[in-house]
Amino acid sequence: MNNIEQNDDVAGDIYAEAPLATMANYVRDILDDICETVTATNDEVLVRISSNDIANVLSKLRDDNHVAFNQLSDLTAVDYPERPARFEMVYQLLSISNNMRLRILAEVSEGQSVPSVTGVFSAANWAEREVWDMFGIFFAGHPDLRRLLTDYGFEGHPLRKDFPLTGHVEVRYDDTQRRVVNEPVHLVQEFRDFDFLSPWEGMQHAIDAEESDKNSDAN
Amino acid sequence: MGVIDPNNAPPIPPGADQDAILKAVGDEITNRGFVIAKADKLFNWARSGSLWPMTFGLACCAVEMMHSASSRYDMDRYGMLFRPSPRQSDVMIVAGTLTNKMAPALRRVYDQMPEPRWVLSMGSCANGGGYYHYSYAVVRGCDRIVPVDVYVPGCPPTAEALIYGLLQLQKKIRRTATIART
Amino acid sequence: MAEMQIKPITMNFGPQHPAAHGVLRLVLEMDGEVIERADPHIGLLHRGTEKLIEHKTYVQALPYFDRLDYVSPMNQEHVWALAIEKALAIEVPRRAQFIRVLYCEIGRILNHLLNLTTFAIDVGAMTPLLWGFEEREQLMGFYERACGARLHAAYFRPGGVHQDLPTGLLEEIGDWADNFPSFINDMETLLTDNRIFKQRTVDIGVISEKEALDLGMSGPCIRASGVPWDLRKSQPYDVYAEMDFDIPIGKTGDCYARYLVRIEEMRQSLRIIHQCIADMPEGPVLAKNNKVTPPHRGDMKNSMEALIHHFKLYTEGFHVPEGESYTAVEAPKGEFGVYLVADGSNKPYRCKIRAPGFYFMAAVDYLSRGHMLADSVAIIGSLDIVFGEIDR
Repeated sequence: MNNIEQNDDVAGDIYAEAPLATMANYVRDILDDICETVTATNDEVLVRISSNDIANVLSKLRDDNHVAFNQLSDLTAVDYPERPARFEMVYQLLSISNNMRLRILAEVSEGQSVPSVTGVFSAANWAEREVWDMFGIFFAGHPDLRRLLTDYGFEGHPLRKDFPLTGHVEVRYDDTQRRVVNEPVHLVQEFRDFDFLSPWEGMQHAIDAEESDKNSDAN
Repeated sequence: MGVIDPNNAPPIPPGADQDAILKAVGDEITNRGFVIAKADKLFNWARSGSLWPMTFGLACCAVEMMHSASSRYDMDRYGMLFRPSPRQSDVMIVAGTLTNKMAPALRRVYDQMPEPRWVLSMGSCANGGGYYHYSYAVVRGCDRIVPVDVYVPGCPPTAEALIYGLLQLQKKIRRTATIART
Repeated sequence: MAEMQIKPITMNFGPQHPAAHGVLRLVLEMDGEVIERADPHIGLLHRGTEKLIEHKTYVQALPYFDRLDYVSPMNQEHVWALAIEKALAIEVPRRAQFIRVLYCEIGRILNHLLNLTTFAIDVGAMTPLLWGFEEREQLMGFYERACGARLHAAYFRPGGVHQDLPTGLLEEIGDWADNFPSFINDMETLLTDNRIFKQRTVDIGVISEKEALDLGMSGPCIRASGVPWDLRKSQPYDVYAEMDFDIPIGKTGDCYARYLVRIEEMRQSLRIIHQCIADMPEGPVLAKNNKVTPPHRGDMKNSMEALIHHFKLYTEGFHVPEGESYTAVEAPKGEFGVYLVADGSNKPYRCKIRAPGFYFMAAVDYLSRGHMLADSVAIIGSLDIVFGEIDR
């Protein structure tokens, strides 16, 4: 039982029964060919699309009078390095009149650029700047794509999984140069990253490797 | 240098006699409306009694700093008045996490403060990076950028702890600040 | 006399500024006294919270949330606890839900006290700050009684709250809540009908309803523009559905409306606090699930099983099944959301923090155009900006 309850008593709602399923069907109808899948999960409708159609999808969802997803709650990305399409863009929409949330997922590979949605929602402006800064996903058509959160001469995209936690440079003030300088990171004590798996649980991969060796030997 | 009685040649050693003579002289001067003190002590009294901090609130410690300046833990009764400009302040309280992006600004503000100036590092983020020590964007302690006089530990240090730290700074000033140029 | 060309100058409203509400570098292009364009440079408090969270277990990551919006810490912890409970599908005991709602409303009052009094001091009124902070001290005293820390509580845990309230605390909160309306009345006497305050805030930074939705606004800012949207009423969590309170909605969408909405929200929070105290049930404050919530300390010292559970939970932590979710609450500033991607291990795979202030700050450029420099201070103050959550 989740603590986030759906409020089914929204005034003027036409989705008295199974509101999410109804919304999912409606969204599927509107988006038609553009979307890949539409599902209704616990408390949200989930839409998977190709990243090139994102602006189109968002404006359709915003302008339709029934679904009226008129606010972009969040825009972010997740890094899955082992997948062929490395990043997954996540757009979180909110419909105030229907009191419902919708999540749009789009896969993006490294180096691929995503059309910007600042034309549809102004809130996306800074959110896309942040995704560019943190992940390195380029947004085509963004009015002002610069770094937002990291330092002025920062190199790298911090939230990628291959970027180390402590980064590559650190700062200190140098008396001779009379300014703050960047230097390679030197930690006095390394970050202690325990995986906490017990020796029995943690050995599963070694056991599997051994099994597969034995099987291949037998064959 | 000691107390010399003009009638007797050798100087009077420190003791009750010397004290009596000094007291008599002092009383006479005080009665005429003059006060004697060592110049060092006077400067230290002025410097520590009216330490004007500069607001350098960066993160959560700034809230506790505001609390220490407000009605309950009033800093003004110690003579501490928050000044927005570095050029008018004595002490810089670095309250909060110092990030790489902010470090040049911190140094520049410190350089704008006139001597004598002190720095009080407030909170564990300013002391040594704190909760964000291993992060890529945080300076591991503001003492990498500015020389620090007093470190106040805590996350955040309570307003009382900050006042304690400031009082320690006052003691340090009385102890170490001199007018001798070394 | 020949017409003089006034070149617009670019000015730095520097990172260290008493009225900048934290570390904000606002680069302003000014035409005389009027702002043509405002370019906020944020990131001066970017501490890498999201990256650090990916390297810590779920309970170890909880205190990061305290430090986001550090004027009302428990409201932020609340989202994290709710997100994990949603992923694990565990039920929170009734008493814990009431305590959470009570402390969320205390956090709301803490936030509005700081915001309104610092807003007043930015526009020139110094007295409300001194009065308001004494009230904040009393509230932080309640925080300390419950969990031990005045500011960063680490009190709301997945499964409930960490420990029960001490005896006598509820009566004291009730007494304080009885006396608080007189403070609000005093502050209103100073500010609400004050000619100077009104001149500084009415018709400054007007946001229309459509713009507010487009810019991603939420919370008092969107309510002051006339949109009746409050997550406590529309998507209630914990026991908000059982609470009887009203939502103030503004009409004009300017700084004055936001000020009035926050004052009224403080009064409504008092109503909720009184109801929580009156209806507080007895019972456990942490869900009894040995795989997720630690056992009582007394049990831990006596029972072997409890000791093992305690050890496993505080070293390895609990594992959250694979899945993604977006959880949002009505934080005092607006909609504070967490997008959590879990991969079955004991550490979050990705945790995106949706901070309301981020979108407010993005709107500062749009809002300050055409206003004068002093108005930009009033706009930033009324939007309730705290850099801990913007920069993360």
